[in-house]
Amino acid sequence: MAEIDIDVRGLKVDFGQSRNALAGVDLGVTQGEFVALIGASGCGKTTLLNVIAGLVPASGGTVTVKRQPPAAGRSDICYVLARDALLPWRTVAANVEYGLQLSGVGREERARRAAAYIEKVGLIRYRDYYPAKLSQGMRQRASLARAFAVGRSIYLMDEPFSALDSQTKLVLHDQLLGLWESSGATVVFVTHDIGEAITLADRVLVMSSKGTGVVDEIRVELSRPRSAESLQADAQYHDLYRRTWTALKASAQ
Amino acid sequence: MTDIANSESALDAAARSAGQRSGAIMAARVAFLALFLALWQGAVEMGFANAAFISTPASVARSLWLLFAQGEVLPDLGTTLLEIAIAFVLSVIFGIASAVVLDRNDWLNRVLSPFLTAFNSMPRIALGPLFVLWFGIGIASKVVLAFSLGYFIMLLSTLGGLKNVDRDLLLMSRLFGASEFRLFRHVRLPWALPGIFAGLKLTLIYCSAGAVIGEMIAAKSGLGLLLQTFSGRFDVAGVMALILIVAFLVMTLTSLMDFSERRLLLWSRGSTDVPG
Repeated sequence: MAEIDIDVRGLKVDFGQSRNALAGVDLGVTQGEFVALIGASGCGKTTLLNVIAGLVPASGGTVTVKRQPPAAGRSDICYVLARDALLPWRTVAANVEYGLQLSGVGREERARRAAAYIEKVGLIRYRDYYPAKLSQGMRQRASLARAFAVGRSIYLMDEPFSALDSQTKLVLHDQLLGLWESSGATVVFVTHDIGEAITLADRVLVMSSKGTGVVDEIRVELSRPRSAESLQADAQYHDLYRRTWTALKASAQ
Repeated sequence: MTDIANSESALDAAARSAGQRSGAIMAARVAFLALFLALWQGAVEMGFANAAFISTPASVARSLWLLFAQGEVLPDLGTTLLEIAIAFVLSVIFGIASAVVLDRNDWLNRVLSPFLTAFNSMPRIALGPLFVLWFGIGIASKVVLAFSLGYFIMLLSTLGGLKNVDRDLLLMSRLFGASEFRLFRHVRLPWALPGIFAGLKLTLIYCSAGAVIGEMIAAKSGLGLLLQTFSGRFDVAGVMALILIVAFLVMTLTSLMDFSERRLLLWSRGSTDVPG
């Protein structure tokens, strides 16, 4: 049995209002697992992610990440934002190096690792471009390269592909899966896109729209490595899609 | 990916045609200047205007030549340059430093902001005689007057740049483990840089004005003192020659700043261009 990496019990969060944003939320994620959190907007999925990242304090319950309390800027957690957050004054290569630089990696090692990860996301030709000249999808790929180049054990992702069109999304899904499979990291991925959740995750957790946490769980037993594009024609994928859709609909009532 | 290649070649083409166009622009500028000078000289010669009031391009040129040929202007030019340099450097250092402190300390910012606004609203030029009273007729009073103008420009433009930093960039950096110093070094400062450069140029212009006007109030040496002397003699050509010297000085320094700005802000080139 793999170790539990993220353990959330009876979590309560309020933003100083009478209504709790989250109440009585439980979540367990084992090491190396890819979990997708899905739910209607306002269900608190991003809030839950932010509590795990140490960005939002819990007002009740316990949260541990690798047996430690959550804290922003921990050296074993990497958080990927919805927007690419590339520094506009740095080239792609310098942006990928930035995460390594902040993690205290030396200059030569930085350049070597950044080059390797830029290659992995297929941006080698664009390494000296400024972000303003890249498409949205390329920028998000640079952001993924920056995240995985630092090689952390836990990745928290907040709808990183929500601004992309469906074709670009499939490309990015494959690249994320490739990066993740070679990293062995634990991933919690927040999304509102059912197809995305099934394509990527081992487990899809459906959150209640009332902020009471996970109400349903869909185990995705599609074999790995997966290809986002060929899954589109997979009957099992569509079956899972239907089941998740039904669960999501039920969670909103 | 082809859209990238296309936009690249479009940029190259734009750069080439810009090169061809810059020759034409230069020629048009020379033509404009020649037309202006000819109208000026012509107006006096045809009797539409009096040379005693508006002088002529030829006499301004002669005054300029005399000022430099006899080396008469050089000590005064040196004094003014020194005052501008000291006031500019002090304005930049203290302006940026104060902006950083006020940006990081909201409480202090809220306490001080009405006082800063009040002092910045004062007509500093009108304080010139007081500065002379307090700091003497040497260069100190001019430096203080120029600094009182430049400091606030630098402070406000830096603060404006620091205040609207993209929160996602700060959050991302913090989550990668950035310290407060690195947030400043890698995010806040580069973000504020365009604002800082705009401030630098304005600060230079206002420091120059402050120094020259300070010298006009009371001084032992300086272009402003010379200006007062020439005005007193109704030497219009001399006054205009001196003003040209100051303008040329500021333009030279400003274009030096433009050059370093273009190099430092290479990344932002063309990012605000909208097609159509």
